[in-house]
Amino acid sequence: MRRLLHVFTNDVRRHLRAPLVIVVFMAIPLAMTALIGAVFGPKPGANALPRIAVLVVDRDKSVASKLLLGAFDSARMKEMFEVTVIGESEGRERMKAGRASAMIVVPERFTLDLMEWKPVALTVVRNPAEQFLPDVAEEAVNTLAVVLSGAVRAFGDEVRGIRAMMDLPLEAFPWASLAPELAKAQSKVIAASKYLDPLLIRLESEEVKTAGSRPAVTRADVFSAVLPGMAIMFLLFIVQTVMRDILAEREDGTLRRMMSAPLRPLELVGARILGGWLMGLAVLLVMAAAGRLLFGATWGPFGYFLLLGATAAFWVAAFFALFHALVANRNQAGAIGAPVILVFSLFGGSMMSPDAMPAAFRPIGLFTPNRWFIDGAALVRDGRFPLAAVAVLGASGLALLALAVPALLRQTRSAS
Amino acid sequence: MLEIRNLTKSYGDVLALDRFSLDLAKGEVLGLLGPNGAGKTTLISILAGTLGGFTGTVTFQGQSLFASRQLKNRLGIVPQDMAFYEDLSAMDNLLFWGGLYDVPRAELKRRAAEILELVELAGRAKEPVKKFSGGMKRRLNTAIGLLHKPDLLLLDEPTVGIDVQAKVSILDIIRNVGAAGTAVIFTTHQLAEVETACSRIAIMDKGRILAQGTLDELVRIVGERTFVEISGEFGAGAFSEAIQDMPAPSVELMSAGDNLALLAVSDTDQIPRVMDRLFGRKLAVTDLTIKSPSLETVFLKLTGRSLRD
Repeated sequence: MRRLLHVFTNDVRRHLRAPLVIVVFMAIPLAMTALIGAVFGPKPGANALPRIAVLVVDRDKSVASKLLLGAFDSARMKEMFEVTVIGESEGRERMKAGRASAMIVVPERFTLDLMEWKPVALTVVRNPAEQFLPDVAEEAVNTLAVVLSGAVRAFGDEVRGIRAMMDLPLEAFPWASLAPELAKAQSKVIAASKYLDPLLIRLESEEVKTAGSRPAVTRADVFSAVLPGMAIMFLLFIVQTVMRDILAEREDGTLRRMMSAPLRPLELVGARILGGWLMGLAVLLVMAAAGRLLFGATWGPFGYFLLLGATAAFWVAAFFALFHALVANRNQAGAIGAPVILVFSLFGGSMMSPDAMPAAFRPIGLFTPNRWFIDGAALVRDGRFPLAAVAVLGASGLALLALAVPALLRQTRSAS
Repeated sequence: MLEIRNLTKSYGDVLALDRFSLDLAKGEVLGLLGPNGAGKTTLISILAGTLGGFTGTVTFQGQSLFASRQLKNRLGIVPQDMAFYEDLSAMDNLLFWGGLYDVPRAELKRRAAEILELVELAGRAKEPVKKFSGGMKRRLNTAIGLLHKPDLLLLDEPTVGIDVQAKVSILDIIRNVGAAGTAVIFTTHQLAEVETACSRIAIMDKGRILAQGTLDELVRIVGERTFVEISGEFGAGAFSEAIQDMPAPSVELMSAGDNLALLAVSDTDQIPRVMDRLFGRKLAVTDLTIKSPSLETVFLKLTGRSLRD
């Protein structure tokens, strides 16, 4: 056992001294997850409308037009509209260039005509290239027009009184008459507020959950769903790389030298499998932690995930122990290993959802570690124990180990 | 210390060791000299415990060498391959390989430092081995075999592919290890190396020892005769015919092949007579080399071929 651990720690030390391959294999799934998440995941604020660019040409430049522009300055309207006051010719140029959704033209004498209760018109110029954004702008202007009209009518007497004063020169302005007009308006405001404040009806919103509907998917959810598939795929590559030492040592003479020492073949084989297993698990945990930190991916209860990861890494180590006992040399291992991993990943769900495959191909995934790990990870993410995945990976891993150990022992003895 | 009796090993129809027997005493440095395919590496592999399927016995310190895995603690192996980890430093390699033997950790560190001094790598102890020159790697390869202070050291062509300076350094180490009491078997096909480093030499070919002894004892096998190596354009039969009636003690045909023959002559006056015979039969001679009695001539006499063949 001492020698087994001695070989194992030496293997770990060697891989830490030259970690480039493992680091690259760890970085690739994270990068691919980021890419997939960025392409297919919901974007931040994706449900919100873009701010609608509205141009305002103010020919009036008086109280009512300022009130209209001021309405667009409220917090809620600012979220929806980006208002620019602009000259008419420049405004029309911008509209032609498609750089705004709508342009509102406030006519001359707008304030004065309103005060005199004369009909006035606000013109909304629409951008024909856009579908519903100009409608939104037009509706908003219409609403403001209604409110403004209503206000003018409600305060008609006071507005007309003030309007009459406005024609007088400044030195003759009847300041003393202004106060009663304002007082009347104030009493109307107070009276109205009794009815308006507080509002008897308030608005609440709720989403209807239809059959089969799910809660809104977040980007972290997408990462959490994609990362297990990527992680198991690259775990296969990493463990294959680590365990390829079995062949390298056979070819470069280090195996013969080890076997000339008092090291038992079983200790060497045990060290190799233990190395593949624990290094694989460590890499998987690092990838999981990186996924959590970088993408906010969730993995569920750590204990469940650790058990699932340990079982999956054990399966992979046992598989590649057998694989490397059967292939002739490193070139053959490289040529066969990569396609095997890609087939596992394709049918196991690392590259696409099994649901996207033809029905006839789906059962193939059940013979891959990818499928069981991905399904298990989904259960763990929901807080459930991945019993089937752990049982299948553990049992089949033990079966692979039972085949791998004698094959590796035979190979070790014959190669030395 | 080591007794090998009737060791026989075949690879299919090829007999690699043919009833091979050998004795080795403590502190003795045995040079095992033979051409490629003589069975040297097979012998080392069997003694190292990495090759099975043989017959015969090997007794080491009074017990079968293969009876207990613990006996491997008394054996040091320096394989022909550079068998170590290039990503690790020299010190880490020594600690790993030494750790496979029953040496306490603290003792192992002390010995590793000592052995690095011995092989003149102490200044590069922490560097990855992949940065070392070929000679430095060979010295490290040798150092790994010595680290646990074995009683029997087996070196399989430890000087292959290195420069003269590194070769001299390794031969010095081998001599010193023998002087310190370790029995050494050292295979090579370099005559000069065994002449320099070994207290006893065994000439091996086709899986058997043809002769063994000190350098002087071996040279006496060929006596005081001079050897003449003749190259030219002739067939083996024509050459043999040309000199067949020359008196045997004065001129003896040691070996004859197409375009190359080896003669032993009692004195150099016989050489012009040989040439007359060859020219008389219109056999073209392009080169002629006179060789004094040496290990090479012994080897030629015993095997009928040069080591480089």
